[in-house]
Amino acid sequence: MATVTLGGKDVEIDEDGFIQDPNEWNEDVALDLAKTEGVEEMGEDHWKLVHYLRDYYLKFGIAPMIRKLCKENGFSLKYVYEMFPSGPAKGACKVAGLPKPTGCV
Amino acid sequence: MSTQVRSYKANKVLERLTKKVNRQIAGTMLACVHCGQCTDSCHYVQTNPGDHTFVPAWKADRVRKLFKRHMDWTGRVIPWWVKAGSVYTDEELEELKDIVFGKCTNCRRCTLNCPMGVDFATMNRMARGLLVSVGIMPEGVAVVSKDQWEIGNQMGVLKEDYLDTLEWMEEELRSDLDDPTVEIPVDKEDCEVVYTINPREAKYDPRTISDAAKIFHVAGENWTMPSEGWDMTNFGLFSGDDDLGGAVARRVYEAVVRLRGKKLVISECGHGYRSTRCEGPNWGGVDLPFEAESSVLTMLRYIKEGRIKVDPSKNDFSVTFHDSCNNARSCGLFEEPRELLNLVTSDFREMYPNRAENYCCTGGGGAMSMSEYAPMRLKSAKVKADQLAATGAEYVVTSCHNCVDGLNDLIKHYKLPMKVTQLVNLVADALVIEPAKASVVVEKKPEAAPAVDETPTVAAALPLEGRKILVIDDEPDIRTFLSTVLEDNGASVLTAGNGDEGMEKARAERPDLITLDLNMPGRDGGQIYSAIRADEDLKDIPVVIITGKPELRKLIYDKDVRRPEGYLDKPVKEDTLLTNVRKVLEVGADDVN
Repeated sequence: MATVTLGGKDVEIDEDGFIQDPNEWNEDVALDLAKTEGVEEMGEDHWKLVHYLRDYYLKFGIAPMIRKLCKENGFSLKYVYEMFPSGPAKGACKVAGLPKPTGCV
Repeated sequence: MSTQVRSYKANKVLERLTKKVNRQIAGTMLACVHCGQCTDSCHYVQTNPGDHTFVPAWKADRVRKLFKRHMDWTGRVIPWWVKAGSVYTDEELEELKDIVFGKCTNCRRCTLNCPMGVDFATMNRMARGLLVSVGIMPEGVAVVSKDQWEIGNQMGVLKEDYLDTLEWMEEELRSDLDDPTVEIPVDKEDCEVVYTINPREAKYDPRTISDAAKIFHVAGENWTMPSEGWDMTNFGLFSGDDDLGGAVARRVYEAVVRLRGKKLVISECGHGYRSTRCEGPNWGGVDLPFEAESSVLTMLRYIKEGRIKVDPSKNDFSVTFHDSCNNARSCGLFEEPRELLNLVTSDFREMYPNRAENYCCTGGGGAMSMSEYAPMRLKSAKVKADQLAATGAEYVVTSCHNCVDGLNDLIKHYKLPMKVTQLVNLVADALVIEPAKASVVVEKKPEAAPAVDETPTVAAALPLEGRKILVIDDEPDIRTFLSTVLEDNGASVLTAGNGDEGMEKARAERPDLITLDLNMPGRDGGQIYSAIRADEDLKDIPVVIITGKPELRKLIYDKDVRRPEGYLDKPVKEDTLLTNVRKVLEVGADDVN
């Protein structure tokens, strides 16, 4: 556990860099997290995807299947990987303020 | 000492210890002579040289002392001599947790290097199991184990979501191949192949599912995926919980039996393969009435039997192979993936050490799910990062999802210019699909091009026509071999028997390409390489290193100069040499590294 400055405020992150408290999340925090995942600029679709992930997580307590994410936002799998090179599990989930996905990832 | 009160959990751990020590573990407890051979074999030690708490024998002694004290007569008679000891408090158990989960990935490299046959990783796994039985484990391990117990797969993927994902991949594949008949059959009975996967493929990255389906389809395989019992991963291996291991493995076996499948094929996952094919029958107490194999073997067989055709030039980048500990060290699966890799790529570079001696991806043993140890894991990944960098390859290929994530993490951490991929992706990308004849397939075949009636006039079509190549090697036989191959393909070849002569000829003749041996008398290849790169006139000439001592790679890759354009191991085959030289000359130097 460590505290770092993200989006101008002190936020607690775990050892893999995922924020601990989803309530601390805002778009400025996301912008800083995006930089750590090789996303230089957050475009409209980046935000759409990130908000979808966050809303889903707040509602169900887990990250959605990539299938749901693509279907409900009209993204192709390839496009998701283009937006977040480190993938939906690590990259996009981290930027959206979700905890680290469990299991072999 | 015996008057000290022991906690409930400590009591339970000791009670269970006496039940879990089998002959193999007893041997491991007794055989260690503290010779220190294991010390340098561990990647944790190599990257934390001053810290004895990473040494395998020291770690093992934390568990060994319990055995000595509670199970071995020496510990009762001369406890001070054999360093027998016990545990009393929950805090001590927590400390043990940080060792057995946090300071070892159960990769078994120390086991291989032990002259006494001490299998530390197996003992370490048992110790994890003791702690798990009283609820002491990293949170990540607990969450995943719970999902495997309760939902039936390690990522809590619901059945309808899994099926929906397969359907999605089927649609994608249909549009990709422009063929509405392609299927991902679910629960089809009496198939040759029942294909099982890692939930990570369904949940986060199903590209491997569609790639595998594409290969099965093109091979004309009669195959299916089960709707239940499809998760071939097994956290029982990581947590040391044999009951979980057995339950999870049985679920997969039952699916194959229910569907009357002939063969269980396990997608590219190291721990899944080991658990499902090698350990599961023991944990689950069952004999398998069917064959089980890694998808690596399945794909290789399809190519050998001519059921699928592949074109290695479709994967036009340099690759190296990372052996997963569970596949290679524990299950002996290391030649087949290399054979397959060489069939679907054209520039393979071996990593050193390799096969059973390879270093762990550093994310093994469930380490990827234990965030609390991530900084230590990444620090200890330095040895792996150096090993990867020394290959100079653009892609590292591995047959393990856990390694994919472990490697991706360290590549990001150490900022290596490298990508990670798996064999299934490379095979799918290299597929030559027959019905779509009209498209790309025909153009690329070199032998199809000069289809003119007369044979003797081949000269015009020789691939290296007009190229001047300088071969620097101290062995006359090698010089003759290399120059014959290159000349036969149209190049004009100059040779040099040592580095200085080579430099002179290079200056005088300005070749289009230089092949350079590393191990030579006088100035070695590494020094000559630096000299070429530092020379204003020569620095732009592409260099292909050809060496019989690939471990000397460090001579080249540790230097702060542009990397060589090609790198080949001796003995070098005629077609490998030609492909690589042509690639460097035709694709251009800048694209290669």
